[in-house]
Amino acid sequence: MENYLVAMAVFAGLYALLALGLNVVWGMTGMINLGLVGFFGLGAYASALLTRAHRAPIVLGLAAAALVTAAAGAAMALTTARLRGDYLAIITLGFSEVVRLVASNELWLTNGTDGISGIPGPWRGRVTPQTFNVVYLAIVALAVLAVFALCQRIRSSPYGRVLRAIRDDDQVAAVAGKRVIVFKVQAFAVSAAILGLAGALWGHYTSFIAPDVFTPLVTIYVVLALTAGGTGNNVGAVLGAALVIFLMEATRFATGWVGMLKPVQVAALREALIGGALLVVLRVRPRGLLPERLARS
Amino acid sequence: MSALLAVEGVVAGYSPSDEILKGVDLAVDSGEIVSVIGPNGAGKSTLLKVVAGLLRPHRGRVRLGEAALEGKPAREVSALGVAFVPQEHNVFPSLTVRENLEMGGYVDPRAARRRIDEIFVRFPALADKRRHAARTLSGGQRQMLAMAMALMVAPVLLLLDEPSAGLAPRAAEQLFDTVVAVNGDGVAIVMVEQNALEALAIARRGYILVDGRNSKSGPAAELARDPDVRRIFLGG
Amino acid sequence: MPREIAQLLLNGLMAGTILAVPAIGFTAIYAVLRFPNFAIAAHLTIGAFAGWLANVSLGLPAALAVGVAFVVAGLAGVLNDELILKPLRPAGALTTAIAAVALTLVLENVVRFVFGNDLRGYDLPIRRDWQAAGLRIAPQQVHNFVIAVVAMAAVFLFLAFTRTGKAMRAVADNPMLASVKGIDADRVARLTNFVAMGLAGVGGVLVGLDTSIDPLTGFRVILSVFAAAVVGGLGSIPGAVVGALTIGVGEELSLLVLAPAYRTVVGFAAILVVLTLRPRGILGERAY
Repeated sequence: MENYLVAMAVFAGLYALLALGLNVVWGMTGMINLGLVGFFGLGAYASALLTRAHRAPIVLGLAAAALVTAAAGAAMALTTARLRGDYLAIITLGFSEVVRLVASNELWLTNGTDGISGIPGPWRGRVTPQTFNVVYLAIVALAVLAVFALCQRIRSSPYGRVLRAIRDDDQVAAVAGKRVIVFKVQAFAVSAAILGLAGALWGHYTSFIAPDVFTPLVTIYVVLALTAGGTGNNVGAVLGAALVIFLMEATRFATGWVGMLKPVQVAALREALIGGALLVVLRVRPRGLLPERLARS
Repeated sequence: MSALLAVEGVVAGYSPSDEILKGVDLAVDSGEIVSVIGPNGAGKSTLLKVVAGLLRPHRGRVRLGEAALEGKPAREVSALGVAFVPQEHNVFPSLTVRENLEMGGYVDPRAARRRIDEIFVRFPALADKRRHAARTLSGGQRQMLAMAMALMVAPVLLLLDEPSAGLAPRAAEQLFDTVVAVNGDGVAIVMVEQNALEALAIARRGYILVDGRNSKSGPAAELARDPDVRRIFLGG
Repeated sequence: MPREIAQLLLNGLMAGTILAVPAIGFTAIYAVLRFPNFAIAAHLTIGAFAGWLANVSLGLPAALAVGVAFVVAGLAGVLNDELILKPLRPAGALTTAIAAVALTLVLENVVRFVFGNDLRGYDLPIRRDWQAAGLRIAPQQVHNFVIAVVAMAAVFLFLAFTRTGKAMRAVADNPMLASVKGIDADRVARLTNFVAMGLAGVGGVLVGLDTSIDPLTGFRVILSVFAAAVVGGLGSIPGAVVGALTIGVGEELSLLVLAPAYRTVVGFAAILVVLTLRPRGILGERAY
């Protein structure tokens, strides 16, 4: 039980990173990213490949994951910066599918749908699984804390105010002499780096990644986390992530009690509940549990 | 003669705290042209939107004959015989001229078929372009089409929002001639205009709006001679 | 080699025509309601299963199954929009788009709950391919092509000649003016949803007739559908057709240089290329 709780805390931390990453673009800058799972996956593969095949230290893997995804995010923002948000929605969704396709088909690189196993974890094998779990929780907590601090800093800085101006009306921001595109590209790169870091940490924790892990479902979870917590609010992002993990686990137990269902029906029910939860939150509490408090600028 | 349209003490804006109109009165009799002029930002267009049902006033009354208009949606206001021609985006660009007219008469398709022929007689330039998409029309033709669309429902009151804006002097002149001709059929017209002198020249009465309030009103010819008016609008 | 290319072109045109049907639906909703409705994927799946039930359980011929799929997916589309998406629209296009993704997840899983994950095929007579000038074509492909063309022709006639069709185009052009002219935007929105999701449903049957169906059928083709709509010009119905043919042919020709698994990547690449060169698509937005 204790192990289970620690594992759930780790996953909640990873989702918190994803939600914080999404918040940088969606909450602070008003750009949508419906393919965030693509960046998550890209980061996971980058670090896994580097540390497993090339025996690079894990820290290097994490850094590489952040760099690769930041570059991909910047490229995406550059391509779409002049387009309206609805195009960005379509393109990001497409991007995540492309990542999944490449991961499924480039056997030489990713081992296809069988995935990559044996991804190293810090001190894994040298300490008991219980200790590993706790150590990893500490690492993830540290990462969340660092990213949270960074995001808070962005939010309260003049830089963050420009991002908010872009979110609220990018024409006005442009008129005010801000080079909107530069800000958008930077925000997208920072956000993607956080998502990629979360992906890398995921791989080193579970020791196994496969294209199946990176389905659009993850995107929904993260959007749900951020929306439920409070879009634009970093505390809300973290809180929302914890809530989503709780909800996912609660539905696991709840559907377990409903007898007579086939496993596929249980899985379907759970996914439908998650989707339904997002719809309910959007309808009932669109600004989340902790609505963003706007500092006057 | 009893007023066709009576606007009394209208306060309106685009948010609850926003007051672009700070208490405006306006009366229009059947069959007359009334020009509303005033500097930019005086609230002229806002006034038309309130009458057309596109903007709900915070306070005040708008009556058409016996019917209260304030708070009614645009669709119901237009069904009562009030046709509004916005300043911009007043035609459907990808529909043909003929289809635009059909949409103008959407609420009464049977009458529309008959009226389209009448409209093509009155606006021969549109008849020539009936199969062309409205986006291919010149600025003057587009304003004509917008007005023609409004006439499809045989309105008792036509609201024109700066119909001559952006037009070359010749096209503007043609347009004012058309306004007079339409009025000759018995349609009352409220016209908001920047071209103060031309607007007053064809109107029976005029209103001057400044900063969301009535500043002056009276017979158009008198207003056109008024030294204050000439100073504000003609710079001399 | 030239014969191989000709065969791929032929296949591409057939595939593109099928793709055009849901792409028209996607772009029509965009034109009228101004948001990318990703739930087109789920309604494609719903149509595919409704058609499958009609075909396999009731023994109806494929052409009738198409009609059933249109009505069922169309009604589902109206219902889902009224209950779920419409109340969220005031919150903005992007929020509605997110909700549409969540809605897709829910609907897909409702289908999965009822039908499971198994692949299912329509009951079709097995016929030998036709051959001419060294090109092969399956009678079923021709059949699907005809269904798709008839569906598209019906849409075009509806938009060009009926009062309601013209009103739909008017709302797409200028919703404010349309309301001034007495056009009921809510009614037009409902109708658009019915027709568009109905077309998605027809697309689902066509995919099913071509291959097989499962709860993810809609999701698997959705990237190509987006690509078709965006490449042609979001909101433009002829654009969706042009875009779909482009993507269909492009996906087939990609087989010359890419593994079949990467077909859908072609759509994504096409979106990027077209948006870089012509940000409003081949035919431009809002062109009818």
